[in-house]
Amino acid sequence: MIRLESVTKSYNPEVTALRDASFEVAKGEFVFLVGPSGSGKSTILRLMNRQEQPEKGEVWVAGKDINSMPDSNIPFLRRKIGNIFQDYKLLLNKTVFENVAFALEVIGRPKHVIGQQVPAVLDLVGLSDKEDRFPHQLSGGEQQRVSIARAFVNRPLILLADEPTGNLDPATGEGIMRLLDRINGTGTTVVMATHDQRIVNQMRKRVVQLDRGVIVRDQERGVYD
Amino acid sequence: MLARISYAFRETWASFKRNVTLTAAAVVTSAVSLLLVGSTFLIQRAFDNLLTRWKGDVELIVYVRSDASPEQIAFIQEAIESQPTIIDVSKVRYLNQAESYAEAQKLFAGDPGTLRLLTPENIPSQFKVVPISDDSNLIRELGESFRGVEGVREVAYAQDVFDVVSRVSQFIRVSTTVMSVVLLLVAIGLIWNTIRTAMFARRREIEVMKLVGATNWFIRIPFMLEGLLQGLIGGVLSCAGLWGLNTAWSNAVTEFNDTELAALVVSDGYARWVMVTLLVIGAVAGAIGSGIAASRFLDV
Repeated sequence: MIRLESVTKSYNPEVTALRDASFEVAKGEFVFLVGPSGSGKSTILRLMNRQEQPEKGEVWVAGKDINSMPDSNIPFLRRKIGNIFQDYKLLLNKTVFENVAFALEVIGRPKHVIGQQVPAVLDLVGLSDKEDRFPHQLSGGEQQRVSIARAFVNRPLILLADEPTGNLDPATGEGIMRLLDRINGTGTTVVMATHDQRIVNQMRKRVVQLDRGVIVRDQERGVYD
Repeated sequence: MLARISYAFRETWASFKRNVTLTAAAVVTSAVSLLLVGSTFLIQRAFDNLLTRWKGDVELIVYVRSDASPEQIAFIQEAIESQPTIIDVSKVRYLNQAESYAEAQKLFAGDPGTLRLLTPENIPSQFKVVPISDDSNLIRELGESFRGVEGVREVAYAQDVFDVVSRVSQFIRVSTTVMSVVLLLVAIGLIWNTIRTAMFARRREIEVMKLVGATNWFIRIPFMLEGLLQGLIGGVLSCAGLWGLNTAWSNAVTEFNDTELAALVVSDGYARWVMVTLLVIGAVAGAIGSGIAASRFLDV
């Protein structure tokens, strides 16, 4: 589903964010990217949806070398990928329903499709009764669920999560992880960057560990360190 | 498709309301610059009308001394009419002192100092002569020959006045064109800035749109539509202004109905054509300004 081949990325000449990184993620897999801040976790996620381009190496997603595709194809690549962030990136002037519907609206989905899919995905994340609330009326965990609903509403092949539990207390974080696990169970590939030891140790999924831009460990059913 | 169109219009309208002050500034600037563009067209047309009319009219004026005797005047007239190959004898017109004075009242309406010096007694009477020959040298030679005739005070060539008016018209054409181009660029810049601000205000939305796979054109179009609309509204305002100006101008000029100045009236048909042009220029300017901004600031 995703393959990095000897990828090197630096943001400026002094700092190399990622050095000669290679790894592959199979369809339906759940992978943790772990390591301290600045170790290159986010860079990997940003390379996967072509928010960044590498200096060297290739990034393959869903059978395509995404750095050789023309810019005009990027939106269609991104429709196959859902994104979740530590800060949710919800639109504060829109309700829960509108935030989720927005993701379908801006890729030109017709109204009746939106009317079907949004309630379904809100049901999945357990927010059916809060679709008219605004983000500031929700708890952090609920806001993250909205952002997961928005990422998943278009049924993407891949979900990229950048520290999704970073702003949440442990119990709420666990709830979010259960939700991601369920989504993963539907066949969606999940790649999640985190430095939350407890969660990684609890889930026992594949762990790819990074240290200053280098992959130092790749372990099935791994723990944080 | 319908969903996309309704999205674009909804977003355009919402953004319009959000940025009232900046939008107003951009609209007013484009209206003023377009008004200047339109005025340039109309002024130009008025001068062209005037010049065309003059060309076919008097080209030679023989001024007669105010103390000339009737015999001298008759002799001058004879001298003029003895040249039927060069001048159109049937169009030779004599304005006596009273008539010349009346004409001067209009010609020097804006110059009361000169007017005070003139009286029906001291003003020269004049022969207005229309040449039929196209050879301006021949006409000039003839004019010079009149200078020697007794009682002639001065010979004036309309060609000279014509040249002056041409130069004035040329100067006005260049300066108003330059001014309107500069103002138009300012208007484009303001529209550009309004759109940039609108995009900055919505950078979070744009970021989300890009992440969920909205195409660049989908993101861009509401902003470009907004800029186009600003230009277009500016165009509509400038049309209203131009129509008002042209009406006032036409009314003012009509008071000089019996002089050449009446040629300064611009026909309604031409004014309408100018208005359509203004609308098109406004829309294009708006699209350019917002298009540049929308492409440049999409990477938020």
